[in-house]
Amino acid sequence: MSEQGGRLIFFWGRECPHCAKLHPVVDEVSEELVKAGGQGITQLEVWHSDENAKLMRSYGDVLKRACGGSLGVPSLYNERTKKALCGMRTTKQQILDLAKE
Amino acid sequence: MAVKKLWRCNVCNDIHYGIKGPEVCPTCGAKNAFMLIDYPEAKKVIIDRGDRLDQVDQLLEVWERFAEGKPFRLNPDAEFVKTLARGELENQRNHGLKYCPCRITTGNLEEDLDLICPCNFFIQPVYRETGECWCGLFVGRK
Repeated sequence: MSEQGGRLIFFWGRECPHCAKLHPVVDEVSEELVKAGGQGITQLEVWHSDENAKLMRSYGDVLKRACGGSLGVPSLYNERTKKALCGMRTTKQQILDLAKE
Repeated sequence: MAVKKLWRCNVCNDIHYGIKGPEVCPTCGAKNAFMLIDYPEAKKVIIDRGDRLDQVDQLLEVWERFAEGKPFRLNPDAEFVKTLARGELENQRNHGLKYCPCRITTGNLEEDLDLICPCNFFIQPVYRETGECWCGLFVGRK
């Protein structure tokens, strides 16, 4: 279990089609990270959990910049480096880089 | 930014929400007929006849109509579009408005009004770069 404050988080929405497309990629990267002895990716759904939405909003400044203005999903946030990725065009390599930086 | 107010056409009771009333009433054609009113009056004048846009098929029809004659069209992937429609209806039930399922509200209503679908996606970097709105509901015509 990843510790709060040092997680790589995947924020997603249940009815967001781009999130559904990115999900397997996130799963794959997460497995690779765990196999390499690191932490996996914490996946948090934001439209049906106030708690998760609140956490996402708390990282709003960084995420909004990554999303081009407003908060959006799918997005990833690294709690350790405070860096983010956002949007449908996120690639496996970008997620790996975000995790390993 | 100027504050939007409520205006009523004194001929047909058309209600307008904006900085000023329209010079020509879009409903009855009367000229210079809009005067300033307040929220309680506007709320009373708009009679609730029970019409709701709360079915997936209704949303699809509204979106098709919205895209008519525009440089974008509704995404041809029917399942993709239906997922978004279901998401918006969920958001309406749970959060009060048809927010884009690929966004998340901030809790600040004024800011969140920008997330109601269809949003003003023309200003989004992703639309300029790919011709698609953020969630992919509307895509450029090829």
